Amino acid sequence: MEQQTPQPITESKIVGVPTPRIDGPLKTTGTAMYSSDHHFPGLVYAWPVTATIASGTISGIDSSSAEKMPGVLAIYTHKNIGPLYRTPPSAGFSMILDERRPPLEDEIVRYYGQYVAVAIAHTVEQARAAAEAVKVTYNKTPHDTSDKLLDTPTIAGKLKEVTKRGDTAAALAGAAYKHDAVYSTPTETHNPIELHASVAVYKDGKFTLYETSQAVVNHRDVMAAMLGVPPENVQVITRFLGSGFGGKLWPWPHALLAAASARNLNRPVKLVVGRSMMFQSVGHRPAIDQRVQLAADKSGKLLAIQHDYVNHTSMLDDYDEGCAESTGFMYSCPNVLATSGLVRRNVGTPTSMRGPGAVPGLYALESAMDELATKLNIDPVQLRLLNEPEKDESTGQPFSSRHLKECLTVGAEKFGWAKRNPAVGSMKDAEGRTLGWGVAACTWIATRTDAEVNVELRQDGAARVACGTQDIGTGTYTAVAQMVAHETGLPLQRIDVVIGDSGLPPGPISGGSWATASVVPAALQAAQQARKQLLSLSTKTDGCPFKDKSVDELEFVDGVVRIKGQSSGGVPFAEILKTANVRSVSGTGKSTGLFGDPNQKFSFHSFGAQFAEVTWQPEIARLHVSRVVTVIDAGRMINPRAARNQIEGAVVMGVGMAMLEATEYDHRSGGPINASLADYIVAVNADCPNIDVTFLDYPDFNLNPLGARGVGEIGLAGIAAAITNAVHHATGIRVRNLPVRIEDLLVAPGNKTS
Amino acid sequence: MSTITFTLNNSQVTVDAPPMTRLLDLLREHLHLTGTKEGCGEGECGSCSVLLNGELVNSCLVPTLQVQGATVTTIEGLGEHTHLHPIQQCFLEEGGAQCGICTPGMILATHHLLEKHPAPTLDEIREGLSGNLCRCTGYMRIFEAVQQTAKLAEAGK
Repeated sequence: MEQQTPQPITESKIVGVPTPRIDGPLKTTGTAMYSSDHHFPGLVYAWPVTATIASGTISGIDSSSAEKMPGVLAIYTHKNIGPLYRTPPSAGFSMILDERRPPLEDEIVRYYGQYVAVAIAHTVEQARAAAEAVKVTYNKTPHDTSDKLLDTPTIAGKLKEVTKRGDTAAALAGAAYKHDAVYSTPTETHNPIELHASVAVYKDGKFTLYETSQAVVNHRDVMAAMLGVPPENVQVITRFLGSGFGGKLWPWPHALLAAASARNLNRPVKLVVGRSMMFQSVGHRPAIDQRVQLAADKSGKLLAIQHDYVNHTSMLDDYDEGCAESTGFMYSCPNVLATSGLVRRNVGTPTSMRGPGAVPGLYALESAMDELATKLNIDPVQLRLLNEPEKDESTGQPFSSRHLKECLTVGAEKFGWAKRNPAVGSMKDAEGRTLGWGVAACTWIATRTDAEVNVELRQDGAARVACGTQDIGTGTYTAVAQMVAHETGLPLQRIDVVIGDSGLPPGPISGGSWATASVVPAALQAAQQARKQLLSLSTKTDGCPFKDKSVDELEFVDGVVRIKGQSSGGVPFAEILKTANVRSVSGTGKSTGLFGDPNQKFSFHSFGAQFAEVTWQPEIARLHVSRVVTVIDAGRMINPRAARNQIEGAVVMGVGMAMLEATEYDHRSGGPINASLADYIVAVNADCPNIDVTFLDYPDFNLNPLGARGVGEIGLAGIAAAITNAVHHATGIRVRNLPVRIEDLLVAPGNKTS
Repeated sequence: MSTITFTLNNSQVTVDAPPMTRLLDLLREHLHLTGTKEGCGEGECGSCSVLLNGELVNSCLVPTLQVQGATVTTIEGLGEHTHLHPIQQCFLEEGGAQCGICTPGMILATHHLLEKHPAPTLDEIREGLSGNLCRCTGYMRIFEAVQQTAKLAEAGK
């Protein structure tokens, strides 16, 4: 593979241009095929049986009456599911899953909702009825679903150091201005509107799996390992995903249930995970306690940051939320210590949820900064500007591109921050309602992972671009088409993007906001290689006007091959291919990732500022987020329209995080009790603030030639803190335990019920 | 099994199905019209919205027996890939469709809304789409798509 150092691309007719999604016609007509939309002759349906205890062992499973019910083909339990294996340890970005135990491995139950059996029948109703008729008895043992985390026994027995510099203890002891508080965030459930689903087809020893996956290549590798077949015997397909937010990054046990059932019965099986099950066995953001201690001098200069967090994990798997991801580099500070701890609870295994680590971490850190600003009597925007670092002080690396100060100043200007009266409850709107204004800074890691892309220029005048990545709703189809359009000059409608299939050249996961950044170098390189092959063919084809010319004399502009600089005499590439009787020319691009590279020259991060306004009516205890101004520094936007969608959606999800979302465990049964979209409250259209999104335009060419970093998660970072800081400004109440509830505010001044 | 005859997207269909089969499953699993999506199965999210005798319903809550003799419109009855309905065109252009899973239901809800309120206010749009959840867009682009459709219809009069 030819490796080259790509030049920054500063000008483009298509990259950076707001572009409607190329898959829009499929989505708006309902013809886009999501996993559970696939149907095959002989398809049968699976419905799992889930544990109704949170800890113990299965003492017996009586499936005799279920097996005799109409349409039932099989009931599988740990006794007859057949071979399913655990995966070897993951390396890099392969073989990743969070719940390592295969379903139905043994009789042990470790969380409420764990699969204990699965019923297969001709119709979904029959399968569900049979599942409900399976009688499972248990030997119950005590479970622990407690959400008190700090100061409870951790797995390691002590807190693990995450980042450290200076002497935090001494600095905290001697400082004039200090802040020390604990911030708690609850279990949150991703709740993409698309249910998790698997349609498993088994034929001649090979599996074709239609999965809800944000990472088809990893999914293929994990499924092959767990089914005990070579990877080439498994193909994973996710043409469209009804979003995932991290919940569909790695395989979950239901996929194994569907695949094993298809194998055992030798017929296609569809398993759609019910909404209530999606609160149990497809991951969640764990409950987290974070203690943040800050110290500063009188001028507001930070002297110490200590950030200790503890998150729950499941009984078998060690999921670390990584809340201190940004603590080491966010601000200039000589003494920094961050620690982490994991505690076991009888819950399903947690997983990445949009902005894992940084999103809850910044809720704590940015709340603490606001509290410190109040103590110092310094404007919270100023406090952040005052502590801006010159470089990443945790690694010593320069920032590749950091414009947080500009995010804050531009945001302050757009929001009208200068008019803010810092006195609690002092600001009113035209109708006399109390206003609260809050700010928070935010950041999210930028990186690239390995990617391979193939571009083909075809005789029909179209290009085909193929990559084993997937579009989870973010706009990858369109972004990839834009990259190839840029390089070939073809219009978007002549570019077929083929993704969402593990059989394609291996592409990046759709997670971490880095799919786009990862694909860029490989896609450009592949298109350049295809162009070279086309020019070479032009010089070797009888009947082609460029026969016997040198490749260096030719260029490929707007789909036409021509003599360099000559606007006439060009030949459309399709004609050259026809003349040569060659169906297509193609090129492959391959790029190596930066993730985890110890020799990385730069600290790659996106930054942003969130300004929130809440409207507070104490007489009826009504709190509404009325306005949000978001300024994002995330490199160049390949498609500003899709990027804006991402940020607006994230802001609304942040309103949910701050005000509404929490998975509640019933500590008697150990089960999530609000396991429905009726009881787990997400922000709906009535909760939407007026949102103003600004992108600073600083392409990050150290990351890739287009300077794109990615925007999937950063919009959610900081927003919860901006809102709770605004709540304090309006009400005088500090809510350090999300979400903000009416009962938290009933003691606020002016509330009639207080 | 019951034999049920109804009008689906302007064509008469007759199916044999258990009478309590959810209309959603009849459409998706029996008739393979998978544009209607399932998000919750309990009438909360609106992804499975269809028009039943012109009214907006959650097809996960409608037993098949109830559509005997009725008229049902699904997303497949609204427009085609090559010839989009104006609502579909506006959702596409304004960024109202992101992951796309709520989109068919959202478009049918919009259709129902615009029949009642051809020039809806923002409050009427919020009210009209209040039964349809979207976890991706943040709703603003959906509202714009609805307003744009209404504007086009007004201009086309």
